[in-house]
Amino acid sequence: MSDVKCDHCHLVFSDSVMIHDEELRFCCNGCKGIYHLLKDEGLDSFYTKMGETTLTPPDQQFEASENFDSPTFYERFVTLGEENTAQISLIIEGIHCAACVWLNEKALHKMPGVIEAHINYTNNKAHIVWDVTKLKLSTIIEMIRAIGYNAYPYDASMQEVRANKERKEYYLRMAVAAFASMNMMWIAVAQYAGYFTGMSQEIKTILNIAEWVLATPALFYSGWVFYRGAYYGLRNGAVTMDMLVVTGSTLAYFYSIYITVLEKGDAYFDSVAMIITFVLLGKFLEVLSRKHAADTLDVMGKYVPSEVSVLDGDAIRSVRVSEVNVGDTIIIRTGERAAIDGEVISGEGSFDESNLTGEADPIFKRKGDNIISGTTSIDALLHYRALKDYANSTLSHLVNLLENAMRQKPKIEQLANRLSEYFSSAILFLAIGTFWVWYFWPHTFDRALMVGISVIIIACPCALALATPVATIVGLALGAKRSILFKSAAQIETMAKVTMIVLDKTGTITQGRPAVVYATYHAGYDRSVLLALVSSSKHPISLGIAQYLDKTEPMIQTGGISEVNEIPARGLVGRANGVMIAGGNALLMEDMGIETQTLSDKSLFYYAVDGELCATFELQDLPKENALESIQSLREFGLRVVMLTGDHTASALRVAGAVGIDEVHAHVTAQEKADFIDKAHNEGHVVVMAGDGVNDLLALACADIGIAMGNGSDIAIEVSDIVLLNDSLVSLTEAYAISRRTYGLIKQNLGISLIYNAVTIPLAMMGYIIPLLAALSMSFSSLLVVGNSMRVKWMYK
Amino acid sequence: MDSWVVAMMLGASLFLGGIALIAFLWGIKTGQFDDEKRMMNQVQFDDENELNDAADQQKKRDALRKKDYRPE
Repeated sequence: MSDVKCDHCHLVFSDSVMIHDEELRFCCNGCKGIYHLLKDEGLDSFYTKMGETTLTPPDQQFEASENFDSPTFYERFVTLGEENTAQISLIIEGIHCAACVWLNEKALHKMPGVIEAHINYTNNKAHIVWDVTKLKLSTIIEMIRAIGYNAYPYDASMQEVRANKERKEYYLRMAVAAFASMNMMWIAVAQYAGYFTGMSQEIKTILNIAEWVLATPALFYSGWVFYRGAYYGLRNGAVTMDMLVVTGSTLAYFYSIYITVLEKGDAYFDSVAMIITFVLLGKFLEVLSRKHAADTLDVMGKYVPSEVSVLDGDAIRSVRVSEVNVGDTIIIRTGERAAIDGEVISGEGSFDESNLTGEADPIFKRKGDNIISGTTSIDALLHYRALKDYANSTLSHLVNLLENAMRQKPKIEQLANRLSEYFSSAILFLAIGTFWVWYFWPHTFDRALMVGISVIIIACPCALALATPVATIVGLALGAKRSILFKSAAQIETMAKVTMIVLDKTGTITQGRPAVVYATYHAGYDRSVLLALVSSSKHPISLGIAQYLDKTEPMIQTGGISEVNEIPARGLVGRANGVMIAGGNALLMEDMGIETQTLSDKSLFYYAVDGELCATFELQDLPKENALESIQSLREFGLRVVMLTGDHTASALRVAGAVGIDEVHAHVTAQEKADFIDKAHNEGHVVVMAGDGVNDLLALACADIGIAMGNGSDIAIEVSDIVLLNDSLVSLTEAYAISRRTYGLIKQNLGISLIYNAVTIPLAMMGYIIPLLAALSMSFSSLLVVGNSMRVKWMYK
Repeated sequence: MDSWVVAMMLGASLFLGGIALIAFLWGIKTGQFDDEKRMMNQVQFDDENELNDAADQQKKRDALRKKDYRPE
């Protein structure tokens, strides 16, 4: 049978598994629902707009949307405006293409009470203004979910607003500076042509005045950041690079005005604009590549429920999490996240604890079991008694610890910053010295001043200012090509100085899901029936079996089965060709009266047809491909590699042995992981932590560099500094190699600009520098630095 | 050659360039370049429907404002 595309999400599946709807084919009911909804709403031009893009099929498990109407939620995320309007910022999940943005905006605009809906395609953030008298927020969220996306609120915090404002401000200043210096260049061409061929003083003055007009906004508008920087630097008693830029350009500017007005010769306006433009460019690149610390805690909001349902006598009340007392009875429903620790009183069902423990299997809970806050109910409806209040519960504890760790993140001072301080002081000192020597070695004041200024201009830290940003941008681009996402440029330098790498086991070194390592067949059976059985479940073991069957039996098709039931913590039972089939663990077999003998330290999956055991599969979480080689090369770099895991010792040692790690700590809790890293810090190590689960969060935040795996939990990705999008350990090694390379490049660039200055400054001090030379040297040194950085980009393809 | 011709040409071209610069700054300030990915795709979503949509939104905004002004 042929493969066909789903008409909504465009993913390709075998025709037999698709839902047939006349001429249309859908991979799931979610896709079908959305397709018809869009058709009914007249939004089906979405499909022509999206072209060949594939979408993620809609997720059906959402937290209840009523939460969005609670007062607590409003207080936290909604801003009330004039005339009954309210505003909220949402992050929309599932946006793949411009058509998705179009569809969301369109669907929202069609709602009667929505006044404004704007979605940013680049970061998927939506800003919605609506009329509270006509519409509830939950209705808006439901609309977004109905068309196949998900939305969660984020606090558009002050910090982020400020970061965006700063970025925009730099954009404006950069535009003005670029405009001024580029126009200045063609005036300068005329000027320097005249310098060699002779030009009347009148024309010279006209050109000077035009340059004056251009240099003024460049210096006082674009250069304002340097004045500000120099002022704050001085207040802290430091001579910064800003100070050097400000003195140089301001002196040159006023000297040039003096020259222009008295018609005394050549002005330095072009150098003023150029200094400002180049140095501003360096700062601008830095601002662009800076990480928004602000975004991190926004995502935490998604993890903390604001209200819980409390049983008060016979009535159910919604109570804020902070107002729940120890001993209250709390009701938790399917899909809800527990906010408070407690003990189950009645009801049963399974919980997803993966984001706390990293354990992928659902945990079955019944009366007497503990509920840990932060875990999600998969299919459980139960009552439990609060054992702690919110402030002492695991979840809020974790949030607090995390916020502290983020705030106290160690910072390594950047090489260029330290260097530029010494450099700036030295140049200013030399310039003043030169001026005095020339003034007392009988020369006119004019001449002495000009020579002094030319020292500052020639030493202009253009190249120095560009050295780090250009190199790091090249590093970021190299990383991005290899699916390594550095969240901020500064981390490249820190990464290059790392001495110790700490790795989590599950999901970082291993694949994080069980795979079949050994299969025993006891009797013949129809493989396609087994595949159909395991395909009906999303349990990691079932997925492992399905993958194994796919791999070992090419051309396999799913066979017809019916009445499949998933029994929690047991397995799957169904019916095929009129006989009972069952697949699951030893407990299930025991329940069905089937004898099993195999003993193993691995997870076992039995398959039985009509009460007869047919096959046994042994599953194990295997190390990732190339894990051994990657870890070996990390060690060859001279790094200390450590493995920390919450898992038991035997399996930790097995994995460590397979990938060649000597130092292993098993049975480690989230807090102990963080403590371990703190201890390493005290021993003088610069530490990288790589992990993927919520149990690694604290450690990720504590480490100098936190590295998250791309398919790890969202929040781990938020907290970390580097994300490996392809989950591969090879990328980890490459991230380190690229950082080292980039750091080497930074040092080279700094070296180039310093050597350059060592040659040109003496020339300037001897008075050989004319404005043309100053301008040329400035451009040339900047080109050298940029060119050197590009060279690495080509070499490291 | 009269040097005021040079002066005038310089002045005129700087003036025109300045206007372009101001327009660009206005574009940045009003957030037209905030969303680079959207900007690149904007041409696909720039037809009659979009105009109608924008007009509808404006109507809604006006309606809201009018409602408040209604004397009672």
